[in-house]
Amino acid sequence: MRSVKLHARLLAAFLLVLGVGSIAYQIWVQKVPLTESESDPVWVVDAQVSFQARENTPIKARMYVPPLDSGFTALNESFISNNYGVNVNRENGNRVVTWSARRADGRQNLYYRLMLTSRFAEPAPAVEDGPQFRAAPPLEGPERLAADALLAPIRQHSADVETFVSETIKRVNNMESDNVRLLLGGDRSPENRARVVDLLLAVAHIPAEPVHTLQLNESRDQQPELWLRTYNGKNWLYFNPLDGRQGLPDDRLVWWSGNKPLLALEGARNAKVDFGVHRNEMSALQLAQSLRFQDQSSFIDYSLYELPVPSQQLFRILMMIPVGVLLVLLIRSLVGMETLGTFTPVLIALAFRETEVIWGVLLFTFITAIGLSVRGYLEHLKLQLLARLSIVLTFVVILMALISLVGYKLGLSTGLSVALFPMVILTMVIERISIVWEERGGGQSLKVAIGTLIAAVLCHLLMVWQPLVYFVFTFPGVLLVLAAVMVLMGHYRGYRLAELMRFRAMTDEGGR
Amino acid sequence: MFGIRTWRALRRRGVLGINQRNGDYILAYNDRRLYPLVDDKIRTKKLALDAGIQVPDMYGIIDTEQGISKLQRIVETHGDFVIKPAQGAGGDGIMVISDRFEGYYRGASGRMISPEELEFHISGIISGIYSLGGHRDRALIEYRVRSTDLFDRISIGGVPDVRIIVLKGYPVAAMLRLPTRQSDGKANLHQGAIGVGVDIATGVTLSGTWHNLKIDRHPDTAHPVAGVQIPDWGACLELAARCYELTGLGYLGVDLVMDKHKGPLMLELNARPGLNIQIANDDGLLRRCRIVEDHLDGLDWTMEPVARRLALSKREFAVARLPEAPEAP
Repeated sequence: MRSVKLHARLLAAFLLVLGVGSIAYQIWVQKVPLTESESDPVWVVDAQVSFQARENTPIKARMYVPPLDSGFTALNESFISNNYGVNVNRENGNRVVTWSARRADGRQNLYYRLMLTSRFAEPAPAVEDGPQFRAAPPLEGPERLAADALLAPIRQHSADVETFVSETIKRVNNMESDNVRLLLGGDRSPENRARVVDLLLAVAHIPAEPVHTLQLNESRDQQPELWLRTYNGKNWLYFNPLDGRQGLPDDRLVWWSGNKPLLALEGARNAKVDFGVHRNEMSALQLAQSLRFQDQSSFIDYSLYELPVPSQQLFRILMMIPVGVLLVLLIRSLVGMETLGTFTPVLIALAFRETEVIWGVLLFTFITAIGLSVRGYLEHLKLQLLARLSIVLTFVVILMALISLVGYKLGLSTGLSVALFPMVILTMVIERISIVWEERGGGQSLKVAIGTLIAAVLCHLLMVWQPLVYFVFTFPGVLLVLAAVMVLMGHYRGYRLAELMRFRAMTDEGGR
Repeated sequence: MFGIRTWRALRRRGVLGINQRNGDYILAYNDRRLYPLVDDKIRTKKLALDAGIQVPDMYGIIDTEQGISKLQRIVETHGDFVIKPAQGAGGDGIMVISDRFEGYYRGASGRMISPEELEFHISGIISGIYSLGGHRDRALIEYRVRSTDLFDRISIGGVPDVRIIVLKGYPVAAMLRLPTRQSDGKANLHQGAIGVGVDIATGVTLSGTWHNLKIDRHPDTAHPVAGVQIPDWGACLELAARCYELTGLGYLGVDLVMDKHKGPLMLELNARPGLNIQIANDDGLLRRCRIVEDHLDGLDWTMEPVARRLALSKREFAVARLPEAPEAP
């Protein structure tokens, strides 16, 4: 017996680990949304390029677009332009779109739209290694002296590349220093400060490059913000050149890196690029489904969502049956409420789906009561069991037909649509209650009927509770967890709640 | 909290719950294959007769509608008899004929029953009105047990019987079941009969239980139920213990009746006996079963003879302070 118990526990543990593991895998690795209503922000980034075309010259506009290799998933990317050829290619870790046209007149507008989300994003792939050394640029005269004067204390106050860069940025932003002012040459714009930081790092042989980023928050007329990044042998480190903050915030999107301007134009003038960022909400489930068409890795593959929609609907119901069965098991073994078998309350709960729960309970009570009174009357006639049951069932069907008819005449057709399925189940229940009545008396059968009804209503409420239905359908591993609980319940030896009442007379407080 | 205190109190007293009875006793000791032996009273009776266990005499079996005409011939030589469904449950469908008069039969309550009515009743039994699940059944016609006078003051209508729970051949608990007006002469606790605990060592009754309550007096006669000596107690115990060898069921409820002339007779066997016997004895079955199981663990799988098993039961399950016998009327 002991070894059997151990075996059962191991089985339960195995099922539990398997079930929980599969759920955990879906949640944390596949990023499956936990609830149906869970929604994610979808960022829509618009870049509008406008320029004045020169007459009779071919136009070529080259603009950087995000390389899409960092922390975000692109849902959709579009280039909107009339009469322009569009060509996208990679170049030193950047992506460049080239719009080209033979000729154009007047004001031209080109649009680039990118839809991004951070869910389902692959962790940023290891970007190609950066350089770890660069040659110092030739500097002469006072600039050389100023640079050296600035670098000496920086060297002293830093331990590695990371601290060196932060320290440099702090020093350059300190306008009190004459050396800094000399190097800035009167231009205090962020770009120039970044250039000076870059220059100082270059003198110290530390490679660095500017990156241009966009912040993902609801905004119009946003301009790319300049950041610096450097490679420390393992990772790219990002720095804000204005205050030395390290680390790129999660809401920053790298647009391009390098010193070149965003837009390069040939055959046009007065170029302008406007950025607009707009936030949308999209349900996580929809998101996953739309990503699926892009051949992205998506949790939809090999899940029940792969099934055709009618089968999905069926499985939404079927997958909930073990939940109902477990509830009945708990009600019987832990509480001690008596029900007609294990499966009957679940079947009645399924029937309630079609009749709605209030009507279902009324119908169940009414028809069972009538059916049993017919049975009681027939008892006086001393009819045999099978004949008696057959008559009861016939009357039940006649009764149901009458109820449907009256309901229809009164315009209650929706509430009383007694479908075939509930009808069959009700008849079956009446038969079984009659048998209990025959064998164990009226009081007992009433007790069982009420127990069954309560269990059925609880099952029904649980089985149509949408968040749970979604969870079980999306994470089928739940069923393995349920099975583990069932295995353990099979070896449950404790008292039922009803027994605490039944044997109360045997405790001190319950004694006379 | 009330629930946890009760739970602990019950555990301390070794009270057996349904889950544990089903899992650790019925499932572990009772092979499902053996159930038909006890579900059908005719098979049980034949088995007992072969083993020399005392049962009420069987007068005949009627298993077809045509066979009903045999009734006259079967009961020709018997003034009184009982008709039972072989697979009935809870005492339903049992008809007791105590006498005959001018071709009519007299029921236990004195009502006159016509031969047609009797035949109709048998036809109902055969078609399965009283059998579990409504299967076809057989009608059993047997000796009518005459109750001893000893229980007259504490039972109403019907025959009291003794339920003994036997674990692996060791009687662990016993209960005298007394019909009440509410139970309609049936000795079934579910239907309102009272159960009175019995001291295994001496066969003297203890206090009783009625609808899960503890009681001292019979609800109808108001006589105290404790302190009555059951006659032939040693024979009762031996008979019950031997039912283990008879059926092979390790956890068994044996129902006995005390006949005025023939002594203890085995009525029927039950493979899933109820748990109210614990309230009647005010003692937990689990506690008692554990004692037997511990004893068996030390035995190296050899089976003890009946006498030694009874000695163990009498020694271990004796009640320390027996109630005094009620004064004579």
